[in-house]
Amino acid sequence: MSSKNKTWFSLNLGRKEKESSKSCGCGKTSGGCGSSSNSQHISNEDFDEAVIAAIGDERQKDGFDQVFDVKMDRRTAFKKLTASLAIGAGAVSTSCSMLSGDESKEKAQIDWEEQFKGNYKLMTDDEKNATVNRLVRSYQLRTGKNLNMSSKNAEDNVLFGYAFNISKCQGYMDCVSACVEENNQDRSSQMQYIRIHEMKDGKGFNFNEADDNYYHEVPAEGHFYMGTQCFHCDNPPCVDVCPVQATWREDDGLVVVDYDWCVGCRYCMAACPYDGRRFNWSKPEVPEADINKNQHYLGNRMRKKGVMEKCTFCVQRSRAGKNPACVEACPTGARIFGNLLDPNSTIRWVLENKKVFRLKEDLGTEPKFWYFMD
Amino acid sequence: MKHIRPIMKRLAYVSLILVVFFSCKHEEEYHDIMDKIESESANYDGVSVSSEAFLDDIKTVKIYEDGHAFLIPERKSQIKSYNCTECHVKPIGELEKDGSAKKAHWDIDINHANSKTMNCATCHNTDSMDDLTSLTGQQIDFNKSYNLCSQCHTKQFEDWKGGAHGKRIGGWAPPRVSMTCVNCHNPHDPHIASKWPARFNTQKVIERE
Repeated sequence: MSSKNKTWFSLNLGRKEKESSKSCGCGKTSGGCGSSSNSQHISNEDFDEAVIAAIGDERQKDGFDQVFDVKMDRRTAFKKLTASLAIGAGAVSTSCSMLSGDESKEKAQIDWEEQFKGNYKLMTDDEKNATVNRLVRSYQLRTGKNLNMSSKNAEDNVLFGYAFNISKCQGYMDCVSACVEENNQDRSSQMQYIRIHEMKDGKGFNFNEADDNYYHEVPAEGHFYMGTQCFHCDNPPCVDVCPVQATWREDDGLVVVDYDWCVGCRYCMAACPYDGRRFNWSKPEVPEADINKNQHYLGNRMRKKGVMEKCTFCVQRSRAGKNPACVEACPTGARIFGNLLDPNSTIRWVLENKKVFRLKEDLGTEPKFWYFMD
Repeated sequence: MKHIRPIMKRLAYVSLILVVFFSCKHEEEYHDIMDKIESESANYDGVSVSSEAFLDDIKTVKIYEDGHAFLIPERKSQIKSYNCTECHVKPIGELEKDGSAKKAHWDIDINHANSKTMNCATCHNTDSMDDLTSLTGQQIDFNKSYNLCSQCHTKQFEDWKGGAHGKRIGGWAPPRVSMTCVNCHNPHDPHIASKWPARFNTQKVIERE
């Protein structure tokens, strides 16, 4: 009976009943569906034994020992245990069960494919499309609600750039608010991609003395405001340090993250000279009613615990021709967004006619985010 | 000794050519981002996306100013009491003398420059009430009221035409629709009041303690 309470078999609805019915549920009532129908009957004790056999006393070791006292077959053992046992047994038993409905079979199939999908960066357009459809279907099955997720690629002749007018920004933080809502950021840790720094006039750009979490009537006398976020560097150091290539630069200049490929090492966070990246220390929580359902795989789809995320210039909006949410929300017009390759674009006019500068230009990161003054 | 010299010379030339050849930058490699933008936009031939769908059915007016062609929101249909001539059938002097008509525009307080510089008639055409007037008495259409503002605010006008001042409507993709002056600034009281920030991050305060 203890097997009923097992937590790693989340997909095996109706597994118990199969034993008595003796017929497997591949849609057929006779013929059976192979030996697999019996192979996933594992009790708690058997599982524990299997764990001990596979990884031995490593089970008792703490984190340090696990890292420095590695057995040669540890990786194989872990692979076998986590992937095959949990997903495999769950999926197979569900798909071979008479009583589990079509929905849970489909769910198992989706989970299986999600588990073994590749890096988004290396996918063909068809694979990208299939991945996105799978995630949409999975959301439908789990919540009964609909979702719109895009896998739109970078447009030809487009390189996104951003300009920020320091003399216009009044520190209203409407951009921050709009960004949080648009990008489904974790509400419990109050994650924010944008920071608005309140700086004293006449002291230059002194980030050490600037206040990025003020709450008083703005604009404050004798201060100016400067916003920072991911600058989408053309030579991004965060991309170079990623050990698994879960973050990369797209052809339209957006630096994006595959949340399902990220291992959460946070090297990119350390490499970014602009504090542009955020980490999910806990499971991101967004109330169901507040979830923005217009999503992109590389943008504002729901993240999980232990992965990096950051501003994507609202890839779900910008690739459709819209402005990012911060640009649209800014009541002062301090934020200008556009296509750097279009010689007639407003962003190009700003770059060519205003005195523009970027932060830490000497690092050679080539951020595509310029500041200017009236 | 003599015959070695030309060989050395030739060798020097060859190595010089080689150095020049290999130091040439490779394709797709640029000194900086501006070089890259310049070279990649040389053959720019438009994009397939458009921001037209995001305009929410607002009416627009096409304008051409110093080589900049773009759209601005239509104004006349947004003014509550337009047409002005629905009331202003007589010149203002006569209306005032008459005294019978209800006082209108009582809610408008001019807080734009001082009274020595500006009054109602600086912008409103007293002869043709449905239009505005320039400083030299030329008619200015309500839909193109930026012509009025640009008489004094020349720097802002330059920035606005280029796109550095004034918010875009719709999106970054063409066509460009920019807000005009009066979409943000109340012409009678153009200063924008201060307010409280939209958000305060209480978690950040806790984390930094």
